[in-house]
Amino acid sequence: MVRLRTLVWLALRNLGRELRRSALTAAAMAIGLALLILSRTLADGAHEDWIDAGVRLGAGHVTINAPGYRDSQSLDDRLSSAQLRASLAAVADSPTPDTPLASVRVTTRGLASSPEGALPAWILGVDPTVEPAFSRLGEEVVDGRYLENGDRLHAYIGVGMAERLGVRTGSRMVLTAQAASGDIEGQLVRVVGIYRTGVDALDQSLVHIPLGTARSWLGVEGATTVAVLLTHSSFTDAVVEEVRGGVDPAGAEVVGWPVTHPDLYSALKLDDGGDWAFHMILFAIVALAILNAVFMSVLHRQREMGLLRALGLSGRETGLVVFTEGVLLTMASGIVGVALGLAVVWIFFRDGLDLSGLWPQDFNLGGVAFDPVLHPVIEVKHVVQSVIMTAAIGLFASAYPAWQAGRLDPAESVKVE
Amino acid sequence: MGERMEPAVRTANLWKIYPQEPRPVEAVRGVDLVVENGEFVAMAGPSGSGKTTVLNLLGGLTAPTEGTVRIGGQEITALSDRQLARVRLNRIGFVFQSYNLLPMLTARENAEFTLVLQGVPRRERRERVGKLFREIGLAGMEDRFPLKLSGGQQQRVAVARAVLGEPDLVLADEPTANLDSTTAEALLDVMDQLNRTRGTTFVFSTHDPRVMERAGRLIRLVDGRIEGESIRGGA
Repeated sequence: MVRLRTLVWLALRNLGRELRRSALTAAAMAIGLALLILSRTLADGAHEDWIDAGVRLGAGHVTINAPGYRDSQSLDDRLSSAQLRASLAAVADSPTPDTPLASVRVTTRGLASSPEGALPAWILGVDPTVEPAFSRLGEEVVDGRYLENGDRLHAYIGVGMAERLGVRTGSRMVLTAQAASGDIEGQLVRVVGIYRTGVDALDQSLVHIPLGTARSWLGVEGATTVAVLLTHSSFTDAVVEEVRGGVDPAGAEVVGWPVTHPDLYSALKLDDGGDWAFHMILFAIVALAILNAVFMSVLHRQREMGLLRALGLSGRETGLVVFTEGVLLTMASGIVGVALGLAVVWIFFRDGLDLSGLWPQDFNLGGVAFDPVLHPVIEVKHVVQSVIMTAAIGLFASAYPAWQAGRLDPAESVKVE
Repeated sequence: MGERMEPAVRTANLWKIYPQEPRPVEAVRGVDLVVENGEFVAMAGPSGSGKTTVLNLLGGLTAPTEGTVRIGGQEITALSDRQLARVRLNRIGFVFQSYNLLPMLTARENAEFTLVLQGVPRRERRERVGKLFREIGLAGMEDRFPLKLSGGQQQRVAVARAVLGEPDLVLADEPTANLDSTTAEALLDVMDQLNRTRGTTFVFSTHDPRVMERAGRLIRLVDGRIEGESIRGGA
């Protein structure tokens, strides 16, 4: 105990004696950690934004379909009224802080036509009272308005479809699809609003119509899909498990967004890989900076190391003095780095980091238009991971010089000028 | 029957060979040396005669190529690094030519360093340092860092550090080499006094005639061998 206290005392004195060098080394680590925290929080924020944008335009964080629907996309594979009720009840019991938002949908592939032409259409019958809180589509309006409660034979279409069909707000168009009976049925609708998402595939094909209209037009009582929106994507697996437990697996299939949005999931994984590569490079630079600083410090103090040996410290204890210096530096850097990192993150909390000058307009990946303004999200787990990795690198970078210090020949070292 | 007192130092056929190109350097060649407790011994000889290497071997700072070293009867050549460190801490004090104080510690902290390692309580440490500092003319210098001390003062702190742990043996490698005449005499007075009053055994390597005059025994080293020794009128 006396020894350990003495080693820490010596290490503190050494750090204090070379205050500028110690401060520079600690600053390298602290800034590295702060950058890492900023990078992780921005990445976490961007990823959550991308997921949110993707699932809001698509089928939610959690999707409930009849078995086989995801492959067939046929009205034959739909949820019955009883299965729909069971699904909604299971969603309501989900283990999340806030009750998830469930959007009941009737979805079909069909044709949208006007006197000027026809286009393949992805038609969603939605509840106008729920959908504005679910989908961001209502916020992307460029003309007219989104669907409202009481709308019947109305449609909300993308700007690409409007241009291709030569229609505008107030125009009529015909939607044609195969009904549940197997017959091809047409439905005349009036355009109430036009949106622009920035994703051409959506802007040219996605049509929202009232759920009641879709049900009566296609002869469907239940629904094809229950799309569930969560407050955070991290709840997905837990909700999937919970809902699966509340529905009949023969009548309903429950999956998370990575299954329904594979392109988005792959894009995020790819981005994660890039982030890790960047972090590894950052770590390597920080590690080399520390290694250099501590190692130079040992070489500079070779005579002192020899003297410590002559005065009664073993090689291991002499190495421990150096290692303790690294530990103390790492601890100080960790505290400063976390504080600095969180302070910088705080700056970006309100307005975000605007990268619109660097990204092309309407840039999209995996079918999702990306918001060029990145908003950081603090995931405690990732901040802790960053601290642990920085600490590990600090300790690793101190270990080698410490080992070298312990191996110095005391007789030769005390002669070094 | 009384226990027979072991000498402070006993070496047998001590060799140190450095493996260098084009041929190995034989720094110490078959040294047999006995230093009794309380002796004040000087080793003299030209540069390269092996004085410092012998001191390093006696202090366990370097391992012999062949032969044995006993300190107070304890064979140290076969000890582990950790055991050797304990021997150095508890039985041997070092004074080096170039002062060799720890620059981040004050004069008092340098002097009491071995006491800290030995686990001596703070109050006792302060008392022992204070008393010795008064004896060797360092009173009032306790809180100065080495850079704020003259060469002579630094060397006196180094001597204080070497003896405060009450070692059996102090090894001093040309301790007066960097000091002016007055300071060197004063320092020798300090060591002489410690030798007489505390019975501390001193082994010096030196070129300095003043040290040789004060030594109770003068050992002459040439080319790594003891070429002769003479009993002197000193201690």
